[in-house]
Amino acid sequence: MSEIQKRVGIPRSLLYYKYYPLWKTFFEELGFEVVVSDESTSKIVEIGSRHAIDEICIPLKLYYGHLINLLQKEIDFLFVPRYISTTFGTYMCPKFLGLPDMVRGTMDNLPPIIEMNVDLRKKPIYASAIQTGRQLNRSLSQIQKAYEKAIKSYHYFRNLMVKGLTFKRAMNLINKNIENFEPKQRKYNGVKIGIIGHGYNVHDQYINMNLFRKLREMNVRAITLENLPLEIFKEKTIITNTLKNYWGNEEEILSAVNYLFKDKTLDGLIFICSFCCGPDSLIDELITRDSKKLSIPYISLVLDEHSGQTGVITRIEAFVDMIIRKKRGLKIKKKQIKEQKILIQAASEVKGGTE
Amino acid sequence: MKVTFPHMGSSTICFKALIEGMGAESFLPNYNNLRQLDAGLKHSPEWVCFPFKTTLGNFIEALEKGCKIIVMATDCGPCRFGFYYAVQERILGDLGYEFEMKYLPQGDLLTFEWADLLKSMCEDKSLFSNYLVYRTAKIYLMKCKLVQDIEKYEGLTRCYEINPGETTQTLKKCVNMVDQANKYYELRQLRSIIRRKFREIPQRKRNGGGLKVGLTGEIHVTLDPFTNHDVKRRLGELGCEVHMNLSLYDWMKHKFHVNFHRKYLEYLSKTNKKIGGIQMDIGGEAYWVLGEYINWAKRGFDGFVHTYPFTCMPEITAKSIIQKWYGDRIFDLPPTFFPFDEHAGETGFITRLEAFVELLKSRKEKMKNGSRSK
Repeated sequence: MSEIQKRVGIPRSLLYYKYYPLWKTFFEELGFEVVVSDESTSKIVEIGSRHAIDEICIPLKLYYGHLINLLQKEIDFLFVPRYISTTFGTYMCPKFLGLPDMVRGTMDNLPPIIEMNVDLRKKPIYASAIQTGRQLNRSLSQIQKAYEKAIKSYHYFRNLMVKGLTFKRAMNLINKNIENFEPKQRKYNGVKIGIIGHGYNVHDQYINMNLFRKLREMNVRAITLENLPLEIFKEKTIITNTLKNYWGNEEEILSAVNYLFKDKTLDGLIFICSFCCGPDSLIDELITRDSKKLSIPYISLVLDEHSGQTGVITRIEAFVDMIIRKKRGLKIKKKQIKEQKILIQAASEVKGGTE
Repeated sequence: MKVTFPHMGSSTICFKALIEGMGAESFLPNYNNLRQLDAGLKHSPEWVCFPFKTTLGNFIEALEKGCKIIVMATDCGPCRFGFYYAVQERILGDLGYEFEMKYLPQGDLLTFEWADLLKSMCEDKSLFSNYLVYRTAKIYLMKCKLVQDIEKYEGLTRCYEINPGETTQTLKKCVNMVDQANKYYELRQLRSIIRRKFREIPQRKRNGGGLKVGLTGEIHVTLDPFTNHDVKRRLGELGCEVHMNLSLYDWMKHKFHVNFHRKYLEYLSKTNKKIGGIQMDIGGEAYWVLGEYINWAKRGFDGFVHTYPFTCMPEITAKSIIQKWYGDRIFDLPPTFFPFDEHAGETGFITRLEAFVELLKSRKEKMKNGSRSK
C-alpha cells in the first residue's frame, strides 16, 4: 500500500501511564502511526495551566499542556478516551467521564477526536474496541486481530512491572519491541518504602519531582502499586460494612495499601496525590487513620504546580531518616531485650543452684 | 430515640417530617453557624468539598447534646457524596462518640431501600408500619413540593417588593406553616394560601420586567443560605428576578424517574455534542447545569449564576465548558461562578455579585438602545 500512514496523537498524561501499551499496539496494528507528546516539563505545565481552568487538579493541567504540545506535531487524529469504568460496578473519577466533552468544549482547532467509550458496567472492552475501529473504517477481522495483540502486549507490560521493573524501564522495553524479557532477581537490604497513588502522579517525572532517583540515591527500595502481585486486586476492599467502594482507581489503591500493611518487611508508605483531587481527599483520610492504628510510618505528599522541589525533597529525606532511626532503635531494643533475657535466665539459674 | 440529620436550607423541614412521621423524635442542631463550622473543619480532611465540613459540624453539635442516631443521605454515583457517611462515621467514631449511623440510599428511589430505613426508625414492627411508611412518604413529598413553591415565589417577587424585607418575612412564615401542618388535607389547602400570601406583598409595577437571572449549581450549596452566603436574597435585593428550577422536590422526582424537565435538559446537553455538551451523568449536577444554561440562553435570560463547592469535580467540568461557550459567543448568556469554601470572604463575594449585576444592567440597556437605533 502506498498510502501515507495517518498519525494518531496520544497525550503523555492521565491514563497513558496505565494503558499506553494497549493503545499503542491497537493503533499500530490498525495501520496508524502513534505519536506521543514530549515528556512533562515545567514549560508544558505552564502552557497547560494557562489553557485549563484554575481550579482543576494538576494532572489535567498537564493534560492540556500535552495536548497543545501534540497539536504542533501534525497529527491527523487525537485520541481522547472516555473511561467510565474499568471493572464491573465501579466508576472512574468524574473528570474522566467528561474528558472528551471537556476537551472538545474548551479547545480550538482540534483534529478529529477518536473517542473510545470504555464502560465495563454495560459492555465488554471488546465492544468498545470494535466501536473505535469502526469509527476509523477498519474491517472487523482487522480489529479483532489488533485487539488480541493489544491485550497481549498490555499483559506483557503488566507482568514486566510485577516482576519488579520500574515504569521507565518497562516502557523502554515496550517501545523497543523487546519480547520475552526476564529481569534479574536482585536482593535488597535496606529500607523498603511503598509509593502509592495514581499512575499519572507517581510516574510523571514532573509531578513526582524525580522522586525515584532521589530514593535510589538514599539507598531506599521503592515499590509502586504496579509492582505488587496481580491477585491482590481481585478482592474487594472493605471501608465500612455498608459502603461499597465505587471508584475503580481508589479500589486499586486501597487494596494495594491493605496488602502493604500486612507486609512485615515494609518500613513506610508515601502517598502521592494532587491538590484538588476529589477521591484522594477522602481516601487519604482513611489511610491516615488506618496507618495510625497500625503505627506504620506514613506521609502524604499533596502536590500541585506550585510545590517547590526543595521542600518536597526535604520532607522525604526527613521521612527516610526517621525510618532509619526507628529501625536502628528497634535493633538496639531487640539486642537489649535479648541481653536482659540472658541476664534474667542466668540469675534464675544461679538462684536455682543456691536453693 | 432521638434522631438527627444535617441542615439544608428550608428543605430541612421535609426531612423532619420524614422522621417524625415514623414516630421517632427528631433532633435538629442549631442552624449552621461559624462555631459549628470550626468544629467541622477541625476534624475533616483538608480539601474535601464544603458540604462535608458543614454537615460534620452539625453532627458534632448534635452528638454533644446527647443525640444517638444520625441519618445521612448517600448516593451511588461517581462523585464524593457517596463516601460522606462512611468517612464521617469513621471520624466521629475516632473522636469517641457513641452513636449509630443510618444512611438513606437515594441512588435510585425505585428500589425502595429507603422504606427499610424508615421502618427501622419505627417502633411498631407490625404490618401497620407499611401504611405508616406510605403516609410519611406522601406527606414528605407534599412538603417538598410546597417548599419548592415557596422558594420559587420568593425568587420571583423579591425584586419587586416595595417594603424591603417583606418577602423574607413571608418566606419564613410560609415555611413555618408548612412545618406545623402534619395532615395531608392541611397541606393541600396550604398551596393556595402560600400563593395568596406572596401575592399580597405590595409590589412595584413591572416595566418590562427586571433582570432575569438563572441560579443553579450543586444542590446542597445552592439550597443552603449559610453555605452560599444567601446568594438568592442578595440577587433579589440587587433587583434580579431569580429563576431556580433546582429544589429537593425536583431531585426526588428525578430519582423516581419522572422528572421530564430534567430529561429535556439532558436532551439539550446531549445534542450539543459538537461544541462539548456533556454526554452522560458525571455526578453532581453538571449534566443539567449545561442543559439549564442552554435552555436559559435560548429563552433570553440576562444572567447565569453557578454556585458549587470549591474543588467539586463534576461542576468544574461544567464550568470550563460554559466559560468557553460564552467566550466564543456560541450562547449569549453571561455567566458568573461562585465556588464556596470556608475561606470565602463575605465582602469580596458581595462586591463580585454587585459588579456582575451592574454589568448585566448596562448590557441590557445597551441592547435596548441598540435595537432602537436599528
